[in-house]
Amino acid sequence: MPTWTLAYATEPEGEPAPPPPSPWRQRLAEGWRVFRGNLLGRIGMVLLGLFALMALCSYLPPAIDPMYHPMTGVDPQVLHSVGPSWRHWLGTDFMGRDILSQLLAGARVAFLVGVSAAFMAIVLGVSVGMTAGYAGGVVDHLLMRLADMIMVMPTLLVVLMLAALFGRLNIWTIVLMIALFRWPGVSRVIRAQTLSLKQRPFIDAARVAGASHLRIVFRHILPNVLPLAFLYMTFRVTSAIVIEAALAFLGFGDPGTVSWGMMLQWVWKTGHMFRAPWWLLPPGICISLITLAFYMLGRAMDEVLDPRLRDETQAG
Amino acid sequence: MRRFVLARLAQVVVILFLILTVLFVLFRLAPGDPVSRLVDPNLTPEEAAHLIRQLGLDQPLTTQYLLYLKNFFTGNFGYSFHYGRPVAEVIWERLPNTVLLFTTAVVLSALVGVSWGKIAAWYQGRWSDTALTILALVTHTLFLPWVALLMVWVFAYHLGLFPITGMISPEVWLDPQAGVWARVVDVAWHMVLPLATLFIMHFGSYLLIMRSAMLDTLKEDYILTARAKGLPQKVIRNHHAAPNAALPVVTSVGLSLAFSINGGALTETVFSWPGIGRELVLAVSQNDYPLAQAAFLLIATVVLLSNLIVDVLYAYLDPRIRY
Repeated sequence: MPTWTLAYATEPEGEPAPPPPSPWRQRLAEGWRVFRGNLLGRIGMVLLGLFALMALCSYLPPAIDPMYHPMTGVDPQVLHSVGPSWRHWLGTDFMGRDILSQLLAGARVAFLVGVSAAFMAIVLGVSVGMTAGYAGGVVDHLLMRLADMIMVMPTLLVVLMLAALFGRLNIWTIVLMIALFRWPGVSRVIRAQTLSLKQRPFIDAARVAGASHLRIVFRHILPNVLPLAFLYMTFRVTSAIVIEAALAFLGFGDPGTVSWGMMLQWVWKTGHMFRAPWWLLPPGICISLITLAFYMLGRAMDEVLDPRLRDETQAG
Repeated sequence: MRRFVLARLAQVVVILFLILTVLFVLFRLAPGDPVSRLVDPNLTPEEAAHLIRQLGLDQPLTTQYLLYLKNFFTGNFGYSFHYGRPVAEVIWERLPNTVLLFTTAVVLSALVGVSWGKIAAWYQGRWSDTALTILALVTHTLFLPWVALLMVWVFAYHLGLFPITGMISPEVWLDPQAGVWARVVDVAWHMVLPLATLFIMHFGSYLLIMRSAMLDTLKEDYILTARAKGLPQKVIRNHHAAPNAALPVVTSVGLSLAFSINGGALTETVFSWPGIGRELVLAVSQNDYPLAQAAFLLIATVVLLSNLIVDVLYAYLDPRIRY
């Protein structure tokens, strides 16, 4: 029973009753309260804020001087890898490009790859999961077997194999490939949720009222599975960022973008890893921290959505 | 139980056929000439003609498909462009190396992860729990190739404790005087860094899964009964709670296998460990299609079979599970 009905009932006669807050806003406010109380969630948010700031700042260095362009800018006075200085705060790479501006550009690529691949994977996973759960029978069986099959495949190696057949992949193809191979986990969870929702009285009520299948799925089931989908999106973001970085590290990234994985591939392949710690350390720290940030955010959201977990941590 | 195993086995066979078919279609869909992808450009015209006949590349697609399936099941994967030898030979040479590194890493990280997860859950909320959970969270999200590079940089380059790359030292293996023991020690010495990298990356997820499963188990009635009987704490923890809590870990081994295999390939590549994963990466960068195809199919088969084994093991370990 929502608390506002009680307050409404005891309202004195003369004064107008305040409009009840919508259940959605109430749920959001409650969720936000739990989220703020979670230390992991707060750390994750702060870290992500810093990375977002880095991504925004990535437009600054090339605007200051073309030699700070992450891909094509070369410092004519350097032309090889030197350590940090006032001119290059984090040093330069093997051809005299500024490491700091590459690092900032990498943040942009990480967000782009992570969020777009995760979003596509979630859209696919939610559609397949809802279809399988709602339709049942043969459709359900076939879709879930397909999901099982894709789920156990090592995504990095599959994308590598496709890169072998279709030549160099650009960043959007990589994003698409990651999305195509990372939806099954989501679809399983969404299917389970849909199956349990299907048994609830409000779905029967909608059906009796003459709602079509599409209307039931989109108006009644979708809003109830969305929070779960968002939770899974944070975990997909981390896996997408890591797969893109690993692909770039192995030398199969988009040659036109500067990602953190690409920076590691350069430091490794040009034999600078023993000589240039200023170049080896930052990209790895960034990839690890952004993954950690999204992971912490996911675990905090898990707690918001699953009251069982909430009680457990409060007891401890 | 037998029906369940047979049903799952049939499923694995169907999935394998699907993967084979998809790969067959992709090889012929990809831009360029499929013949150039399967026949080494360096062969003499006679040799090439012989290979084309053997693979049925001059036949209609249906015949090609049947020949392809036959070749897969008889282990004939053609000739590697890079090595100029039968692909199957190269694969069989590399397989034991991967199995050695990979199984040691998975077993070690699962054992350590499970026992630390047990301890973390038992001391829930105390500093040992907090420290272990944070350690697991942080190591679990590190970027594997970077960890591998750091390992090489610190322990091999700066401290000089371990070799930088490879699996054996030629001077030990070429020396006829060196006994079996010296060779085993040599391989173990080369294996320390790759093993440590895989361990750091993988124990965290086992720890976190074990911890949350153990916390659930500790709330069960039979734990309360055990406490009421006045059993020693250690007995309750190790004999009543832990074996039941370890069940979800078994499933997670199967599900995280794909993730671990990605990591295995990256580790092998950085440390130049002569295994299947590194061979696949090399084959892809050298456009050695027959070798890449065979390595990929082998990995896919192993993944499918391991998942089958994990499912059967789970049903065997947990009598409540009946399919």
